[in-house]
Amino acid sequence: MILEVISTILLILGAFFSLTGAIGLFRFPDFFTRVHAASVTDSIATILIITGLILRTDFDLVAVKLLFILIFLLLTSPTASHALAKSARHGGLLTLAEIRESKKGDND
Amino acid sequence: MLALAATSVAILSVMALALARALKADTVYDRILGVNMVGTKTALFIAIMGFLNGRPDFLDIAIVYALINFIGMIAVLRFFEYTASEPDEDTQEKSK
Amino acid sequence: MYSKSLMDRKTIIYLTTWTLILAIFWLLLSGYFKPLLLGFGLVSVALVVLLIWRMDKTDKEPQQLSFSLRFFRYIVWLIGQVVLSSLEVTKLVWGSSKKLSPATAKLPVTDIPEHSRVLYANSITMTPGTLSVDIDDDYVTVHALDEKSIKSLQQGEMASKIAKATGEKN
Repeated sequence: MILEVISTILLILGAFFSLTGAIGLFRFPDFFTRVHAASVTDSIATILIITGLILRTDFDLVAVKLLFILIFLLLTSPTASHALAKSARHGGLLTLAEIRESKKGDND
Repeated sequence: MLALAATSVAILSVMALALARALKADTVYDRILGVNMVGTKTALFIAIMGFLNGRPDFLDIAIVYALINFIGMIAVLRFFEYTASEPDEDTQEKSK
Repeated sequence: MYSKSLMDRKTIIYLTTWTLILAIFWLLLSGYFKPLLLGFGLVSVALVVLLIWRMDKTDKEPQQLSFSLRFFRYIVWLIGQVVLSSLEVTKLVWGSSKKLSPATAKLPVTDIPEHSRVLYANSITMTPGTLSVDIDDDYVTVHALDEKSIKSLQQGEMASKIAKATGEKN
């Protein structure tokens, strides 16, 4: 019973952080800041939701499988974000600060 | 049960928002970011769906989905990294 | 070089560890104990161990699986950091967007042992608010939502913890 209450809290918190990340995707001004918003949903929302689901199992094979999903997602999503940021950088996308700097250079 | 349903609805709306971001984006990288978010959320959504239906065997599908999503992401990024047009001289200077 | 003996003792221990890990992994994922499925498991474990052995013959990376107690303590600390910085980013998302002060910086990685630099870059990316954009032999380029998080990375708490967690036991 207590476990179910904790699990409910964790799931709702996870859903809240997912929504935060999705809204951040729209509110943040440039690509590199948007990656940060997406990484909120990738890290903490995943941890919270999967932990909430684990608390609803009987702590058997299903829980182990959920743990595998969690470990796998936590290993791969930073790698994917890094690969994305790196290829954006090599594709010549500038960060917000650099754009500001180059504009200043134009005005001088 | 209600919490599970609420969470799955929230994840579905997150997926819709990310998809909207992917459709209405300035750069190709923004699109990939949105699509990647849809992918990871789908893996979570499948897991929650399994619990909602009382069929934990859905978790296997979630594992496979997460694997394929990651490999697909890396493949797409490789493609864009090598086919992107060469950056200008000055941007290359700055990225060093 | 390798013709003297086919495998030395370290390699045998290393490959046996991998065989055990992979066998447990297969059993946990399948959960069936029918002879046919166990046979498939045996074949795939043997195949993967063979691949590991062949790959290790070609590259010169150190063979090690470092799952020490320190490593798990580091993971717990990292999850704490993830929670804290997520709250920061959440505040930034819901607050006014004028507070944003994104910054980039190059952090030296020469102090960190070579095999744990990947862990360092991955940890930086995993905590929301900081993102490792590029990594080479001497520097990792970090993009942060807030200049404060760059400063706290420059103080080097995470770097020293990683060096401790994966370094040689002394």
